[in-house]
Amino acid sequence: MTSEMTFAQAAEAHLDDVYGYLAWFTSDRWAAEELTAETFERALRLWHRFDPGRGSARTWLCQVARTVALDHFRSERRRTRREQLAAPPERTDAKFVEGLSPDLEAALRLLTAGEREVVALRVVLELDAGAAARMLGISPTNCTTRLNRALRKLEEALHVAA
Amino acid sequence: MSQRDLVAELRAARIAAPPELRERVRLTATRDRTKAPRRFTWRRALVVALPVAAAVVAGVMLTRSSDRTTERPLVAHGERAATNQGSATLKAAPSIAAPAPSSTRVQRYGASLTLRVPSGNGVSNAVKSALRITRSLGGYATSVHAGSQGRAASASLRLRIPRAHVAAAVSRLSALGTITGEQVDIQDLQTAIDTTTRTIARLQRRLKELRADPPSAANDARIAALVTRVERLQREEAATIRSARFATVDLHLTTPPVAHHAAGHGPLHGLLVALTWLGIGTVYVLALLTPVVLVALLAALAVRWIRRRREDALLSRS
Repeated sequence: MTSEMTFAQAAEAHLDDVYGYLAWFTSDRWAAEELTAETFERALRLWHRFDPGRGSARTWLCQVARTVALDHFRSERRRTRREQLAAPPERTDAKFVEGLSPDLEAALRLLTAGEREVVALRVVLELDAGAAARMLGISPTNCTTRLNRALRKLEEALHVAA
Repeated sequence: MSQRDLVAELRAARIAAPPELRERVRLTATRDRTKAPRRFTWRRALVVALPVAAAVVAGVMLTRSSDRTTERPLVAHGERAATNQGSATLKAAPSIAAPAPSSTRVQRYGASLTLRVPSGNGVSNAVKSALRITRSLGGYATSVHAGSQGRAASASLRLRIPRAHVAAAVSRLSALGTITGEQVDIQDLQTAIDTTTRTIARLQRRLKELRADPPSAANDARIAALVTRVERLQREEAATIRSARFATVDLHLTTPPVAHHAAGHGPLHGLLVALTWLGIGTVYVLALLTPVVLVALLAALAVRWIRRRREDALLSRS
């Protein structure tokens, strides 16, 4: 990607990545759609701050998406606390990823949001350890440890299911 | 399922954005009116340009102030005569016009000149020229002291010059170098001489009266005392008039201070001084700001740690 990339080009090129990342992160495709739209709205406002010398447009957009997702998680937690007083919380059972085996889908539901996020960044988006670590604000070693822990958890869940 | 198969399956199931979302994002992107991101920004340019400009301005100002020569007026001191030629500046007037002594009154005339000559050879040549000027005007040197140390040299001359030619002498001597200091002292002696003359006349009249009186031992003693006093006054008067015929001119010749050159007062000296002061200022600023920055850094680290803990807690749920 060149440094003269426009916002429209960046949006077109990385929409699937941002949407996929948010779908994995939230495990909710409907929420991911809304958050993706919000991410690009916010990214448009912040586009003048993007510096190609400091990272790729994909990583930058994913960082914006992460901030939007964290805000979403916070507001969801507040909403859930309020609703728990009146009624038990609803569980979203819709598939957020198509084409996975039922066992793997079930195993994925056991992962925490943080574990799904690191799987999304390192496995699905194929970011290297350095870029993913910078996004998460942790060291590359810590990032690799988190990924291994998540994959081991999936493996164990699949083994139990088998 | 091995970890490799697991990763392969996860990668194979990539998610594509639905067409409605793609259209929404395209609509958002059409509102983009910003230009491509620039590496060059005015803020970045100012960070570099401001300190450079400050250093250049300080350098220019310091260079100018060090080149400036103090303007000092020619001042003549005297008991009765005081001359002030305030408009005559040292740079503008390489040779000065000293106030001329009176041709009708007896005056004691003294002048002091300090000249800067460019080199040790210049001092030597100036001494020779000063002596030549003095002799040509009918004067003489009462003392000459000259010395050198390294590239620095200096000389001091005391010259006695006929009072009638002293103005010309000062003018010609001042042309031997750049004037860095001068002083003219004129002391009027005519009043004192007139008083002495009147006293002598009175004493002589008294002497004439005493000589007309009948001789006696007491009278003879008075006459002898008066004669002695008259002779002493006449000698003093003659000595005063004789000494006033010549003016005293003190001439000091020096080379510029060697340390001045050694310091390297070239065109870059001001810049060097400015950079030195900038360095000193930076050290002070660092000394003052370091504790503040450390506290701010610790606070930022604490905030980051707390935020990460909260984030981890938020993301630890499925």
